[in-house]
Amino acid sequence: MSEKVTLSDALSNVDVLDELSIPDQQPCIEAQTINIDYQANFDTNFEDRNAFVTGMAKYIEEATVHANLNDLLVAGNTHAVMLYTWRCCSRAIPQPKSNEQPNRVEIYEKTVEVLGPEVEKLLAFMYFQKTASEMFCGEVRRLCHQEKRKDFVSEAYLLTLGKFINMFAVLDELKNMKSSVKNDYSTYRRAAQFLKVMSDSQKLQESQNLSMFLATQNKIRDDLKRNLESIPGCDELLGDVVNICLQMFENKMFLSPGEKHMLVKVMGFGLYLIDGEQCNINRLDQKKKIRLEKIDRIFKVTTTFKETPRTDMENKDLVDLALRGLQLLSQWTSVVTELCSWKLLHPTDPHQNKECPAEAEEYERATRYNYSSEEKSGLIEVIAMIKGLQVLMARMESVFSDAIRRHLYAETQDFVQLALRDPLRKAIKNKKDMIRVIIMSVRETCADWMRGTEPADDPALKGKKDPENGFELKVPRRNVGPSSTQLYMVRTMLESLIADKSGGKRTLRKDIDERALAAIDQFHKGSFFWSYLLNFTDSLQQCCDLSQLWYREFYLEMTMGRRIQFPIDMSMPWILTDHILRTRDPSMTECVLYPLDLYNDAAHYSLTKFRKQFLYDEIEAEVNLCFDQFVHKLSEHIFGYYKSLAGNILLDRRFRQECMALGTTLPWPPAARYESLMRQRHVQLLGRSIDLSRLIGQRINADMYKSLDLALARFEAADITSIVELEHLINVNRLAHQLMQEHLGSLDPFDNMFREANHNVLAPYGRITLHVFWELNFDFLPTYCYNAATNRFVKGRELQFGQNVQRDKPPQMMPAYVWGSKALNTSYHAIMSQFNGFVGPPHFKSIVRLLGYQGIAVVMEELLKIVKTLIQGNILQFARTLMNAMPKQCKLPRYDYGSIGVLGYYRAQLTDIVQYPDAKTELFHNFREMGNTILFCLMAEQAMSQEETCDLLHAAPFQNIIPRPHIKEGERQEVKQKKLEAKYAALQIVPNIEKLGSSEQSFIAKEGDLLTRERLCCGLSIFDMILTRIRGFLDDPIWKGPAPQNGVMHVDECLEFHRLWSALQFVYCIPVGQNEFTVEQMFGEGLHWAGCTMIVLLDQTRKFEALDYCYHILRVQKVDNKDGVHKGISLQKMVERIRRFQVLNGQIFAVLNKYLKASSSEVESSSVEHVRCFQPPVHPNNAQARSGIR
Amino acid sequence: MSSGKQALQRQTQQDWENRADVEVITSSIKKIADFLNSFDMSCRFKLAELNEKLTGLERSIEYLEAKVSKGGTLN
Repeated sequence: MSEKVTLSDALSNVDVLDELSIPDQQPCIEAQTINIDYQANFDTNFEDRNAFVTGMAKYIEEATVHANLNDLLVAGNTHAVMLYTWRCCSRAIPQPKSNEQPNRVEIYEKTVEVLGPEVEKLLAFMYFQKTASEMFCGEVRRLCHQEKRKDFVSEAYLLTLGKFINMFAVLDELKNMKSSVKNDYSTYRRAAQFLKVMSDSQKLQESQNLSMFLATQNKIRDDLKRNLESIPGCDELLGDVVNICLQMFENKMFLSPGEKHMLVKVMGFGLYLIDGEQCNINRLDQKKKIRLEKIDRIFKVTTTFKETPRTDMENKDLVDLALRGLQLLSQWTSVVTELCSWKLLHPTDPHQNKECPAEAEEYERATRYNYSSEEKSGLIEVIAMIKGLQVLMARMESVFSDAIRRHLYAETQDFVQLALRDPLRKAIKNKKDMIRVIIMSVRETCADWMRGTEPADDPALKGKKDPENGFELKVPRRNVGPSSTQLYMVRTMLESLIADKSGGKRTLRKDIDERALAAIDQFHKGSFFWSYLLNFTDSLQQCCDLSQLWYREFYLEMTMGRRIQFPIDMSMPWILTDHILRTRDPSMTECVLYPLDLYNDAAHYSLTKFRKQFLYDEIEAEVNLCFDQFVHKLSEHIFGYYKSLAGNILLDRRFRQECMALGTTLPWPPAARYESLMRQRHVQLLGRSIDLSRLIGQRINADMYKSLDLALARFEAADITSIVELEHLINVNRLAHQLMQEHLGSLDPFDNMFREANHNVLAPYGRITLHVFWELNFDFLPTYCYNAATNRFVKGRELQFGQNVQRDKPPQMMPAYVWGSKALNTSYHAIMSQFNGFVGPPHFKSIVRLLGYQGIAVVMEELLKIVKTLIQGNILQFARTLMNAMPKQCKLPRYDYGSIGVLGYYRAQLTDIVQYPDAKTELFHNFREMGNTILFCLMAEQAMSQEETCDLLHAAPFQNIIPRPHIKEGERQEVKQKKLEAKYAALQIVPNIEKLGSSEQSFIAKEGDLLTRERLCCGLSIFDMILTRIRGFLDDPIWKGPAPQNGVMHVDECLEFHRLWSALQFVYCIPVGQNEFTVEQMFGEGLHWAGCTMIVLLDQTRKFEALDYCYHILRVQKVDNKDGVHKGISLQKMVERIRRFQVLNGQIFAVLNKYLKASSSEVESSSVEHVRCFQPPVHPNNAQARSGIR
Repeated sequence: MSSGKQALQRQTQQDWENRADVEVITSSIKKIADFLNSFDMSCRFKLAELNEKLTGLERSIEYLEAKVSKGGTLN
């Protein structure tokens, strides 16, 4: 890049970035996500102190000490981290079991090798605490010196001493706590002694010291206390430290929760250090040096959880807003951490919490069982508040920092250049040199004069009054805040002016007037937070750091190696996440990513503060486990929710109302807010970006498939009647899919899923088709009885042909996979059971919809094969046998014989048939099967036509088919029709696509339109085709008999099928005895349908109607109206039956003829009956004569 | 007023100026970082959408291939 870019160009390029629109369309429900974290840190730790030549030498010197102390504090922190994160090594190291063990030496060598570096750290720690302690005592001694004591010690300095005290306390507690440190060291020592590594006496002494240091409890604090006690007057200094902490705590002069806790610890430990033989804190209290009662109150407040009232004071000023935001965050964070610490300190037990098992371990009692449901909800809410506000503040960060820099600059310069003029003037006038020097020094340290130098003509510099019209002084404005050392210098010097205590010496306060004092004091107080505001990014992060909710090193230590890490059920982030998932509280659903963000905090802490790889690895492992669980549970809930929503939407309304009337409310699922979770495409977790939407989509896809598979399996495990249930189940699934697809783009199309579950992708016939056919073949055709009155098939239970049908049991699954919930499962079971006892129009509609044209075609084709085997197999066999048993001739006896006589005649003629054993069982059963098949086809066709009509009506408005409008008087049909057509022109597909689409699209539209119209005008009928095909099966000569001798027709001869059917009709018209079953009961009307269809297809209808035996009996009986019993047959009852069957036969013939005629009229396009003309019959006598004549 | 003092005051002013310049640079870098972050988010969202569409298409192709190849083993 040789091209030069000027700074202003570069800056304007940066400004242009704001104008680029880079929208992120996912709802923001997660914590702050940053991939690039930029923090500019201008804290120099007083490195630039020497530049402040104009400052007071004393404070520059103090700054030097300060810097050293700060370095020590940093070092102390690393040692604290080392101790806190110490994991016991010695437990993992094998111990030699006996002195004879051969690899003993090797074990010891390895032990020393492994533990060596760790022991180095411990040694460094021991020496550090010694140096730090000496340094601290040295400082205290210096400050407690008689002369020095009179001088003023700055607040910042006292605070640093306080931090030191805090450091000692922390280190000591950690050392006491960590027994594994001692164990590890003793293991090392044993090995080292055995190997004689520490040969020289110095090393031995060092080792001895270290083990004493580690073994002695409270070693650090005791040593410190002993050393301090030898310093005279140290109690007063420590008292000052405690007081400054108290004052800062009371005035909320802290920002991060860590600092707040530091103040408390310093107060506690400071008092401990003061309290000794020479000095009693109660005595100091009496001398008003320390105010114990106030401190007592703090200890009570901080260690117990208290509701923090939310003030609604809203500052318009951005800086105030930023500070307030930070303080709020800090407050909430400390509430959360204090609550958690309190809970850790007060673990529950089986007595307090019934759910806590007796064998629950320590950490479990402190976390898992230690929170009530409300507490968890509250905790989640606060965490969500913290994380949510953090996101908002971070978004505003550049605005805030800009405002902060400008504001702080203005404040500083206004104060230094304007507000300090007055006290300066007074000091010069009154010759208060000390004050003058300090004020001048403050001004020199940070004044940024308009013209580069102090205006020499300022009357204030000479101690004179301003002129009448005032002295004009313009203060510049810049976008930069004071530097860290600058701020320190200014604040410390100002503090020395207003300090009301300065050893025994006269304070400077008295020489400054009230107004100036107040101004200085206000500036000093206000500027306390400036260093935090200047490091806005860092402060924000510290205020929101909730990583402590994960860390549990103490509890791990307490398990004495029984646990390497705790399971996720005891881990706070997961407990909270799981709580949200478990309670399914809609208001908390969207917060579910916040508890997971605690892992981010913990990981960030382990990487930046602890700098321990193993902690990060443990967090990562836990996150891997949790996240899988989280996604699993979440998608399960989402699926269940939408499924039950769909189930509820589709649930019959009247059923719901009736349940309500009976006192059972079927609850609607409460509206859950999964939408925003389902639209999360980049969730940040441990630096990974996770497409949550895709993960949920994958699982829901699998669940959906499972659910459809279950629906099919349930169908396969039940009889044909459950087809209605199957259709409803699929509809519920379809609706659930539709509801979810709105938010989850990654779901597969429903039809694809359905076909896959139905095994209908690779194979031409799906599971539904196969099972429908299977059921038809093995259950429906052989066992169901049709009844035209109800238009239903009902299972015949009287007579069983063949074995009972065996079916697989359906798999048991969770309610979510069936109808959606337990209540829905019960409701739908009740509704669906109404369809179980019969097969009727609803079933046929379902079959038609589910099978479609293709499936129906397959089923019908197969059914035709069944009919064929029946007609050409069993039925033919029977027909042959029975034809032989038929009388050769059977006339229609004359009315003169009377109805009883006619009955007797037929009874005698048909004795063989009546007594034929298989007729009433096997044969009728075969006819029933055939009849049921025909009826099935008929009803399927009816259902299909309804569907098609529905389709066509739906399509009509788009095809410019408008129903004829109603016409009032004076209106013209055509005009009104035209108007309507114009009104709905926008709906018409073909012309619109022609106008707007490509030629290809318009072609497709036209083809589609044509297809729809064609279906309507053709009036194709499947049933007609079925009948024609069946007619083709009736090719055996036995059905029609030989050609009639008289050349016209058989009259009395029993050679045609209709005669056989008449005989059978006679058989089944005979009334049955009390405990016998009628044919209607046993076979239903399928029997009649089979017979009548065959008669119609053989064109024997008329002959049958004219010559039938039973009809003849009926006709004769109508005339003579007789009753009587012939061979146990009651005539009246018989006639009754005949009448009924005649009506039925008539209906069947009518239906069949309708279909057949419809098609024949199509083909021949004439409805005129064909009339064959025959010669008039010749009487036999005449025939003889004729032949004679010939 | 001594010239040494004036020089010092000028130096102080120079320091303020320099630090203001540094602030301009830092805040610009911050802006760039912010921009990159939101750019990252936006891109991730869009890429995820694209990924979803591609996966959907892939699955559709798989489905259609399976459908088309039915009975293919017989040929």
